Amino acid sequence: MAENKPSAKPAAKKAAKKETAKKPAAGKPAKKTAAKKAAAKKPAKKPAARKSAVKAPAAPAKATPVGAVMVVGGGIGGVQASLDLVDMGYRVYMVDSGPSIGGVMGQLDKTFPTNDCSMCILSPKLVEVGSNRNIKLMTLTDVVGVEGEPGDFKVTVRVRPRFVDIEKCTGCGICTEKCRVKVKDPYNANLSRTPLIRVPFPQAVPGAAFIDPKMCLYLLKGKCGNCKEECPAGAVDYDQKERTEVIEVGSIVLASGYKPFDARARAEYGYGVYENVVTSLEFERILAANGPTGGHVVRRSDGGPVKKLAFIQCVGSRDSTAGNTYCSSVCCMYATKQSIIAKEHERSIDPTIFFIDMRAYGKGFEEYYQKSKDEQGIRYVRCLASYAKELQPTGNILIGYVDPEGNTVEEEFDLVVLSVGIEPDAAVLASAVGVELNEHGFVASDKFFSVETSREGVFACGAIESPKDIPDSVVQASASAGMASAKLTAGRGELIERIEYPPERDVAGEEPRIGAVICRCGTNIGGVVDVPAVVDYARTLPGVVFAEERLYACSQDAQEWIRETVREHGLNRLLVASCTPRTHQPLFRETMRSAGLNKYLFEMANIREHCSWVHMNIPELATEKAKLLVKMGTEKAALLEPLSEGVSPVTPRALVIGGGGAGMTAALQLADAGFTTYLVEKDRELGGNMRHISKTIEGGDVQRKLEELKARVLAHKNVGLFLGSEVESVDGFIGSFHTTVDTPEGPVELDHGIVVVATGGLEYEPEPGEYGWGTDERVITQTELERRIAEEPESLAGARDVVMVQCVGSRNEEHPYCSKICCGIAVKNAVALKGVNPEAQVNVCYRDLRTYGFKEDHYLEARDLGVNFIRFEKEQPPAVVDVMGDPQVRVADANIRGEEVVLNPDLVVLSCGVVANPDARSLGPKLKVPLTSDGFFLEAHVKLRPVDFATDGVFLAGLAHYPKTIAESLTQACAAAARAESVLSKPEVVTEGVVAFVDESMCAGCRQCVAVCSYEAISFDEEKGVAVVNSSLCKGCGACAAACTSGANRLLGFKPEQIYAQIMAACGGV
Amino acid sequence: MKRLSFSYFPGCSQSGSAEEFGLSTEAVCGALGIELEELPDWSCCGASSAHMTNDALSIALPGRDLALAKQIGKDMLVVCAACYSRMKVAQKRLLSDEKLAKEVAGMVGADPRFSGEIRHLLDVLVNDVGMPEIKRWVRRDLAGLKAVPYYGCLLVRPPEISCCDSVENPTELDSFLEALGVEVRPWSFKTDCCGGSLSLSRSDIVEKLVNKLFTRAEEAGANCIVTACPMCAANLEMRQQPGKFDFKLLHKMPVLYFTELLGLALGLDSDDWFKSHIINPMPLLKELDLAGKK
Repeated sequence: MAENKPSAKPAAKKAAKKETAKKPAAGKPAKKTAAKKAAAKKPAKKPAARKSAVKAPAAPAKATPVGAVMVVGGGIGGVQASLDLVDMGYRVYMVDSGPSIGGVMGQLDKTFPTNDCSMCILSPKLVEVGSNRNIKLMTLTDVVGVEGEPGDFKVTVRVRPRFVDIEKCTGCGICTEKCRVKVKDPYNANLSRTPLIRVPFPQAVPGAAFIDPKMCLYLLKGKCGNCKEECPAGAVDYDQKERTEVIEVGSIVLASGYKPFDARARAEYGYGVYENVVTSLEFERILAANGPTGGHVVRRSDGGPVKKLAFIQCVGSRDSTAGNTYCSSVCCMYATKQSIIAKEHERSIDPTIFFIDMRAYGKGFEEYYQKSKDEQGIRYVRCLASYAKELQPTGNILIGYVDPEGNTVEEEFDLVVLSVGIEPDAAVLASAVGVELNEHGFVASDKFFSVETSREGVFACGAIESPKDIPDSVVQASASAGMASAKLTAGRGELIERIEYPPERDVAGEEPRIGAVICRCGTNIGGVVDVPAVVDYARTLPGVVFAEERLYACSQDAQEWIRETVREHGLNRLLVASCTPRTHQPLFRETMRSAGLNKYLFEMANIREHCSWVHMNIPELATEKAKLLVKMGTEKAALLEPLSEGVSPVTPRALVIGGGGAGMTAALQLADAGFTTYLVEKDRELGGNMRHISKTIEGGDVQRKLEELKARVLAHKNVGLFLGSEVESVDGFIGSFHTTVDTPEGPVELDHGIVVVATGGLEYEPEPGEYGWGTDERVITQTELERRIAEEPESLAGARDVVMVQCVGSRNEEHPYCSKICCGIAVKNAVALKGVNPEAQVNVCYRDLRTYGFKEDHYLEARDLGVNFIRFEKEQPPAVVDVMGDPQVRVADANIRGEEVVLNPDLVVLSCGVVANPDARSLGPKLKVPLTSDGFFLEAHVKLRPVDFATDGVFLAGLAHYPKTIAESLTQACAAAARAESVLSKPEVVTEGVVAFVDESMCAGCRQCVAVCSYEAISFDEEKGVAVVNSSLCKGCGACAAACTSGANRLLGFKPEQIYAQIMAACGGV
Repeated sequence: MKRLSFSYFPGCSQSGSAEEFGLSTEAVCGALGIELEELPDWSCCGASSAHMTNDALSIALPGRDLALAKQIGKDMLVVCAACYSRMKVAQKRLLSDEKLAKEVAGMVGADPRFSGEIRHLLDVLVNDVGMPEIKRWVRRDLAGLKAVPYYGCLLVRPPEISCCDSVENPTELDSFLEALGVEVRPWSFKTDCCGGSLSLSRSDIVEKLVNKLFTRAEEAGANCIVTACPMCAANLEMRQQPGKFDFKLLHKMPVLYFTELLGLALGLDSDDWFKSHIINPMPLLKELDLAGKK
């Protein structure tokens, strides 16, 4: 058994750390050219303000791989990969063919199963990408070719002209108002028309306008030119030309998404002919508040109300005639979501979903689906529509189908939504980059690490690789970031710009000298609010020594002006009255810092979203309100204190709990990246559940992969392996964990910076008698069948009749969730069984056949081989009885009106579900991480943070998270390792200044705050009897401060006196 | 105008139950200079009855006529949709299956492998002659007629032999009618089955289907149904109510052949044709001042 690694590592780490502190290096030539071009275009009086503090780079050693990665595609996958990469110390070139990043997720109204507002959870990430100086965002850009080797690629890109200077454009919207050309708006799925020159959507990044040259009057004919004339920032530039650039990167991540199936190919549904037949993406825009109907669900033909709403599933999917044979994985869930949301918008809407199988296989999906049926009034009809016909003169749609009794029925609906599938759109990009496509046209990927492509150094994540939902795309994105940078670690940090700030001026003891900047935001504020009046008013407020207006407070030159103003007037507080802190607070805080002031001496008053935008029709009152908001802001500003950001060290070592496939993969990724990794496994040998599987459904050799992983773990110099060991206790927090491990040789103390939880799951064990389990040795599990197929195929040669039973231990009261993999396993084993014994009659008794994605092809294969699929309803499960000593299976076939089918099998195979590892119940509290009601670990956010915990520094992968396939486990492990690497690759963990603080003298020890904290950031000091906030974990949400009854707990930056001052200001009137 | 010349397979109904279809076809082809050389001693194509009965027979019957067409050597023109369908299916099978071709040759006494094109008159009018050309010859504006175009099954299915641009939503008849000044009413039942030859064996099914078609046509605001298939026309006119031979009417909306309307538009003598209908179209035509020779 391997032991703790010797301390030689820390020294090596220090040397490595020194290297990362070096200044940005390779890749600069391209940047310089761009900077030169930009400088040539810009007027001399506008310096590149941000760049002045950057030190000049030194040239690197030639052998170092380029510490930069190109990410192609700015959807959620590309965005996540970029943010992860930059966090891990690599420069990112994000390339998108459109004018803005955001992808399809930016067009969704809500996301399943949490019903989060899609843009709300996405746009903060878009803003992060847009404002991160180490992500070079290149929109309207296509990849043309890739040359070179992994570690040193030269990517040729074609940058199409935007005809608008991004540096100058502030997104004010005047050009859009004056534009004479109207086009169909692709953001609104072509359901509405928009002026040609426009910011693509309100939350677009970059938030700059663009012109499509194919439709512009000026660019085509030299006419109009309104936008250039009217633009107050002089940002319109018709002379921009297409240019080609060669970018040097170490790796490439492909994340360009998909295109929806063209529903016109299923002509019997009348899409494109009947107005009241729409696609799911169109319906999503109809549901969206910023969509063509303002979120009102109305008929397209006459704008009338919708009472009866129909969804037709599988349009273009599971279709060998007009569409694609695979399953598009997401449509069952999105149709459920859309019906729930539609009903939320309008209670009188009655949705009906016509489907084949309800594929609610992911975490939280089955519960979401059941609730929609049982509690939310969504009607499910298990039959696809044969046709949709438009009735005259109403325009209603008549759907023909067969009801459960077998009668042909026609039913009238107001609006019909076609759940269109996901199609690849990768041919051109794949050809340019030199990666292979699979038979369906998606980027071909490795059978185990689903982000690896056929070309070394090129990775793929999201729908470009296969149809999938957002959480799976995010997992692949983080995994891609980890794998893309795995060979680039020597170049980590080389190309990262670090800004040097001037020292912070100590303002202690000074009287507040507040500067108030009132922004016009073009006409957004200035068109409603009387800005000069607000400026005059601001000058009268106590503490304000300077007040001025700006057309755009957020522009580059305004930042320079703010810095000068701060210096000139000796300001020690700044108030900007403009838009939302959500997007712009970081920008202004950085300006403060570069002006030599503590960034927490800054306050924002939102006189746009909270004022001019919502009171557009009452300008006088809006002006009064703006004045009030400014007063509230200055009152608080006067009480602002400088706050310091916490810094705590990071022990550059990892702890991985669980030595199965996911655990080994995570450990190897981290060990390869140079971090000492402790791998703790309860069992005496590695491998977990992988030991019992021979092949994946795609034909991957599991045992060979297992041997590979084990061999590498055992041989890796950075892995400290503890077999037969368990975690006894965990102390500390991110960066400084201290864990005691119980090993056969006695307890071992380990220090590490992060934890990866990969403790796996177990196969459900049926109760005695359940489907004949334990009473007849011919009733076995799929795992046992798999073993026999692999090791004793001759024992199956005589089996005439095999019955498989699905959902054993799943989708019931005890385990309400779907175990996701059992349908795939049954199909895999049925096909394998037919291979061993072609004469065998295989009958699979199922409820919904959940072979999502490309697994659908194997379901088709099974049926072609003669495997029978018999559907049963939950209330009438198959009965396995003993008849004269032999097993007999009686199942009510729901597809033939419940008639009983009697089978006499030689073998009954139970597809048992996955249950959570019971160890999780004791491990969770040790790590301060929560569990779901089913006993799996609960991640920070089901949609966008599937490998993180709300507790910083702890990560999750594999069955411990939720049932999943081997490939999904290994890929998720790569993702967890990548996220962990972000932490370990930095010398310190920096924490926000806005954190809670407990005044011990006032704390009564009631522990309300401890209970209320979602981030495990408050602990209780038993000795002193007081609560203690760990500022490294505190997120500054304020819940504890609000809960505190004695006032001992206060949120720095939002102290009671600061809030009261604002309230008093508001109540006191102008 | 391009000179068009075809061998012509009229089919049984053109001189029988769809006499008006046959007469109007010959009249409009004559007027537009489309030469029709009738296949000598042609015989029944078998229509839908043959292919429900015996596969070899269903190929052999049209096979005999294909052999005749092969001898003449011109492209073949067909007007009846059922004949068109059977001719095309048989041709495809005979040209790809040598064994079958030999078998049929034995039955009909000649080589049935006709390799010329088999065209439907609607297709020829819209694509070969072209509506702009036809418009030049129009003497009478058919405004006032509000038609739903009823293609039926056999012009569009099976997709491999369809002569129309879409299996679900064909448009040739629509554009044909529009060019003649007819108002084409949008409806979704263009290619719905009329019941076909179930007319005799299961007329109850046909009754349901044709009543539905009339109801939908009325909903669509039409005052006539225009068709290209004698089987469809017969079912629509004759099978509205039970009673196989008394032809009781529930719906009085006229069912007209596209060739009749073309003849009307070209100013040809059409009274004889309209007399043959069970649903009398004269009241409508008189009301719209479309009756009588122009």
